[in-house]
Amino acid sequence: MATTEEIEDLIARCALGDRAAFSRLYDRTSAKLFGVILRVLKDRASAEDALQDAFMKVWRHAGRYSANGASPMTWMITIARNTAIDHLRRIKESVDVDDAADRLVASTPTPEQSAVAAGEARRITACLDELEQDRGAAVRGAYLEGRSYADLAESFGVPLNTMRTWLRRSLQRLQECMAR
Amino acid sequence: MTTGADDIPQDDSLLAAEYVLRLLDPVEDAAFRARLAREPALAAEVSAWTTRLSGLDADVAEVAPRPAVKAGLERRLFGQPQRLPFWQRAGLWQAVSLASVAVAAFFAWQSLQPPQPVAPTPLFVSEIAAEDQSLRLLAVYDSAAGEVRLTRTAGGAAAGRVLQLWAIAGDAAPVSLGVLPEDSTAAVPLPESLRAGVAGLILAISDEPPGGSPTGAPTGAVLAVGQVSAL
Repeated sequence: MATTEEIEDLIARCALGDRAAFSRLYDRTSAKLFGVILRVLKDRASAEDALQDAFMKVWRHAGRYSANGASPMTWMITIARNTAIDHLRRIKESVDVDDAADRLVASTPTPEQSAVAAGEARRITACLDELEQDRGAAVRGAYLEGRSYADLAESFGVPLNTMRTWLRRSLQRLQECMAR
Repeated sequence: MTTGADDIPQDDSLLAAEYVLRLLDPVEDAAFRARLAREPALAAEVSAWTTRLSGLDADVAEVAPRPAVKAGLERRLFGQPQRLPFWQRAGLWQAVSLASVAVAAFFAWQSLQPPQPVAPTPLFVSEIAAEDQSLRLLAVYDSAAGEVRLTRTAGGAAAGRVLQLWAIAGDAAPVSLGVLPEDSTAAVPLPESLRAGVAGLILAISDEPPGGSPTGAPTGAVLAVGQVSAL
């Protein structure tokens, strides 16, 4: 895996229209992004399509990634996840629409906020394990597989409103645990 | 603020988490995004949840895509697989019109200068243009003065923003040549280190806050790009 600085530098070059940098960025990051997409879209052909769409967005929106303390891999993975979820839900959108990029962090967190959040991120697995098993699995299912409330409610055999209450409560406990 | 149906306060942090997880229904999602545009505190919550949940990314195994996926991607983005940068894509007719405009601009500029002995120095020019031509500048490098002279022929900075000029030599990081004035013409010195390699230099213009990029690297969108070539 490439370093954060290297990925940041490659994204900055993509913003300047440097195709060789784009090619290197793809080589360094496509396996991770493809892994993320495959968790959402089990079908390989759709996943390949979504991977291309995600990288097209990365190329087109590279100028809007600014090094603000947020990890460039998180930026790219967020684009990949959202693109995969759009495919999964068959949301019709042209890649020219800034949707996935607009979903991204519009704010510029202070370096302090970023550091706090990054420190918290390392605790997420332990904190998920503190939740009842089902509930941790629901949070993972939503994040890693792009599952909706309806989808989760069905597989856990609970009404939709119950699912929503569960998940919100889990998220709240997760946040409290991670902030400890 | 609580919702009627459950006893969890539906605070903004939880809404932001649901937004990041794509759990909001389309109407809630649209409402949230409308707020997001105006409320920095909400955007900070989205940012915090994005980072918090990113801890789970480590659980995702890497899977190398087939090589054909990359080839297909480059074809979709850049057309036929070729190694030409996009500003060379438009073809010969554009080069011809660029050359004629450049020559006209050069002589127009020269006619304003006091007469001086004409030395057979090569002429370096570049058209720095947005893909949609919404911003276009013509650059002529004056090797005697070590200056790049620019004439803006279309577009300009957005309200409250400035245009910043960058030079990129090969694989090196962009070097700022400064913020462009509001006037349609400008002359900016080219750093010594870049002068020898002026042919092939890439010039780019980015959108920046007043006073220019605070970081020394482009922070805003890159609006226009052009390559310097000898005429």
